Amino acid sequence: MLIGFSLTALIITDGMILGTVKVMVGGVTQTLAGEAQVHRRGFLDSFDVDLFIEEPGPIYKIIDEDSAVSGYAPRIMVGGMIASTYNVSGGMIYGVDAAKEIGVSRIKDAIIEGSYLSGVDREILIGKPMAEILEVELGDRIVLTASEIETGEIAQELFRVSGIFEFGPKEMDENIAFINLDKAKEFLVMGDKIHQIVIQFVDPEDAKNRELPLLRALNTDEVEALGWLDFNPSLGAMLEMMNYSTLIVGIILFFLASLGVINSMFMSIYERIYELGVAKAIGTRPIDIAKLVLSEALLIAIFSCIMGAALGFALSSYYAEHGLPMGKMEVAGVVLDGNLYTVVALNQFINFPIYVILLTVIAAIYPAIFAARIVPSEALQRSL
Amino acid sequence: MTSVIEVKNVTRLFGTEETMVTAVDHVSFNIEKGEFTAIIGPSGSGKTTLLHLIGGLDNPSSGIVELSGTNIADMTGSELSDFRRDHIGFVFQSYNLIPVLSAEENIEYIMLLQGIPANERKKRVRDMLYTVGLEGLGDRRPSHLSGGQQQRVAVARAMASKPDIILADEPTANLDSKTGISLIEVMKDLNQTQDMTFVFSTHDEKIMDRASRLIHLHDGKIAEDEYK
Repeated sequence: MLIGFSLTALIITDGMILGTVKVMVGGVTQTLAGEAQVHRRGFLDSFDVDLFIEEPGPIYKIIDEDSAVSGYAPRIMVGGMIASTYNVSGGMIYGVDAAKEIGVSRIKDAIIEGSYLSGVDREILIGKPMAEILEVELGDRIVLTASEIETGEIAQELFRVSGIFEFGPKEMDENIAFINLDKAKEFLVMGDKIHQIVIQFVDPEDAKNRELPLLRALNTDEVEALGWLDFNPSLGAMLEMMNYSTLIVGIILFFLASLGVINSMFMSIYERIYELGVAKAIGTRPIDIAKLVLSEALLIAIFSCIMGAALGFALSSYYAEHGLPMGKMEVAGVVLDGNLYTVVALNQFINFPIYVILLTVIAAIYPAIFAARIVPSEALQRSL
Repeated sequence: MTSVIEVKNVTRLFGTEETMVTAVDHVSFNIEKGEFTAIIGPSGSGKTTLLHLIGGLDNPSSGIVELSGTNIADMTGSELSDFRRDHIGFVFQSYNLIPVLSAEENIEYIMLLQGIPANERKKRVRDMLYTVGLEGLGDRRPSHLSGGQQQRVAVARAMASKPDIILADEPTANLDSKTGISLIEVMKDLNQTQDMTFVFSTHDEKIMDRASRLIHLHDGKIAEDEYK
């Protein structure tokens, strides 16, 4: 039973970790950052407005022709001052293509008041905390101040709050504002230049492939194209750490289960020590006694794994559909809100049971050696 | 005659230096092929220990036990197991049949260990059951057999491997006197008709009367070695 429950616990733990990873990766790649990004080399290090992509047209063409891409959106990004009548805040101003953003980010879904960008000249979307700092509401005026590219001249523009959004992480909601791409180009005197292209793939796994033909094709001496593992290495490191946590949980569970196996096998041996003594006395070889104990452990493990995997599948499937209530929490800047949906994966029902069976048999080696070394004369006297 | 067993100055000590007990004390004797020998003596006289030493279930503290000319102390665990399987049959006081196997399967088990083909095994099982008077009861499990019937199965199991010698540790101790005598008659018959060598321990005088040789043990020493 202990073995079966350990397998069940491992399946659910792994399902929860995969679910968390899915939410975290989704939180980063689906919210705003995208699964891949294209920008001038060095832009990510400094967000220098002068590190722009001069001619994005050929890049759009390459992306348009790639069937692995589900959507892309060009952006302008500039640090600036955001002021209302009452207060001032610093932040990153994003010039976005409202239509294309729908396919690559959740800006539209994050709107909690007002409406998404419609292309009207002076629209601006700000986060709820920023609205509180600036003490503004929908329709109120906001002035953006930023440096024009190349000349470095200070530019100012008046906008009206058309929407208030809430992604979740306070850092994002407090420091970002979105305006229309065309207005941003005009405001910063950028012409057709942009700072970033965000890409989403049909298969999210493509983003992890550094050798993906699209990324290789887009990488030049001036421009770099990176998957999320590269433009957000801290998330990659965190996910790797979470994989280790499955391993650690697995080791702890199976260490405990192994102790249970050893204990059970010894109890079984002691209960039958007289019979084992008789078996040895009439000519059963020590190695055959050991094989008997190991075979029993193997059968117990197989039976336990069937039960454990069935229970694990039932519970994990249930939580995959209904979610595991976790409350609201923030991990690495990603908000896990409400339920955590476990992920049911095939390897949980192939690899884990194999590990469990192997470990159970390994744990039974010591009891098997003990049984093989039973001295028949001593065993026969135990119950006489 | 040929010596099946040679016990040469064998001593078996148990316990630590302070609590040392001498279970068998410098015992020497030979068992010839075809003997029907009883080792007798009161409880604690060393009968079971001596049978275990003869059967290679235990090793002497000093001295030599030779079975069919082979010193059992020179054998590895597996060699000793093989030797017991092929040369010695055991009958235990409390039968010790495998409860989940039928009488036939219990008898067949040791032949399975010997690697005897299925046809030969089945034939021998039938013969053994007939010999011990249990024909028709082969498919019964031990729990559906009386004590006497179970001990007959145990004798049949001991014979099934065609051993050089059968060692029986108080085989009648758990049987009523009538059943016990009946079992000894079966063993005696096998001894006489098949020239099978039997060494058994007992403290039942009615059983002793059937033995052709009595080895009296007292405090681990041979007090008397009596041929009848």
